[in-house]
Amino acid sequence: MGLQISIRESGDVTILDLRGRSTINDGESELLSSHLQKLIANGARKLLLNLEDLTQVDSSGISIIVGTYVSLCSQGGDLRLLRPCARVLEVFRVLHLLEIIPKFEDETQALASFGTRGSSATP
Amino acid sequence: MTTPCSSAVAPTTQNTALLVASGGDVDELLTNVLASEGWSIQRVADNQHILALVRDKPFDLIVTGRQTRVAEDVELLRKIRSARPHVRLIILTDRFTPGDVISAMREGAFSYFSAPFEPSELAEMVRAAMAEPCWDDGIEVLSGTPEWVSLTARCDLITADRLVQFLHGVRDPSIPEAEKDRVIFAFKEILINAMEHGGHFDSSQHVEISFIRARRAIACRVKDPGKGFSLEELRHAAAGSSPDDLFSHERVRDERGLRPGGFGILLAKKLVDELIYNEMGNEVVLVKYLDPPESPTT
Repeated sequence: MGLQISIRESGDVTILDLRGRSTINDGESELLSSHLQKLIANGARKLLLNLEDLTQVDSSGISIIVGTYVSLCSQGGDLRLLRPCARVLEVFRVLHLLEIIPKFEDETQALASFGTRGSSATP
Repeated sequence: MTTPCSSAVAPTTQNTALLVASGGDVDELLTNVLASEGWSIQRVADNQHILALVRDKPFDLIVTGRQTRVAEDVELLRKIRSARPHVRLIILTDRFTPGDVISAMREGAFSYFSAPFEPSELAEMVRAAMAEPCWDDGIEVLSGTPEWVSLTARCDLITADRLVQFLHGVRDPSIPEAEKDRVIFAFKEILINAMEHGGHFDSSQHVEISFIRARRAIACRVKDPGKGFSLEELRHAAAGSSPDDLFSHERVRDERGLRPGGFGILLAKKLVDELIYNEMGNEVVLVKYLDPPESPTT
């Protein structure tokens, strides 16, 4: 399966639903990187990564997420995490990244935290 | 020692897998993964007639059944490889002993899954085996006892993945699974670093590895073929960032045009108790201490 990414929008927030793994294997993290770079190049500034179905992440995946967070913050944007599973959550925890990148369990709350004007998900 | 595999002899006909029945979800999973790539599947109930089948036909992949003891699968693998040295065989088993992982690696199994295992990880490994049309084993066990295993691993990602799966297959009731998973995670990060930065993912290069199981600790030693590095000069890695600015390495990587990365060493450090580099920086030991067994109350 590798990594599958689907993208939807809610107001001015772009939501990426990640499914599978984001590791160095099979170019998974590169795939994530290219999607994120394209979105930012196309003007997306508020990104919500839905990690509910992300089963595994390694340092390559973490690096992509952190790199994107740093890049967005420098451009006045923001990135948040939604519902990471226990295995993925532990990686963020041991690196103390949750003290910097906000994490939410509820999508509505996550969207509201961006201060977005519209919050109804589009199919 | 087998002769090198040449892509010139890669089969041009439909790939075929030989599956020994495991029953239930595993058979269904394997069927789905193989069929999705257009592979044909031949099924057998047990190991009994496999050798005769394999002598007649060059199967691209063999997956053993869960009910067979690993010792029998390894013996079968040894015989198959004498006729078909490049066969990819994945051992699935519910019946194993602590030394079975070493035997499976020694004999060149492609991978090894002891129960319980994650079906999704089996599926990924089967896909990896299917994607390697010309396969030579990249793992060589130099010496192995239950307490100390030394081996070399070729500098490529599939070899790293295979080795990591072999480690997941080790079942030691005295090591909590969560602790084992952390050590393996840390080990994989360090192994990938060694293969990438020391071996440049050059498949002619190898990493030296030792696993040591002491009574109250697990240690892994990884030595890469590179010239090493200095941790103090590692400004492009999170391990070299200031504690007050965890992301400073990101700016350095950006300036140097490096791909996003740099969290491997820091992550490994956090997952084990000690991470000790030699002076050159091309050899590292990971140590995880295990809680001593509770002493009986008097």
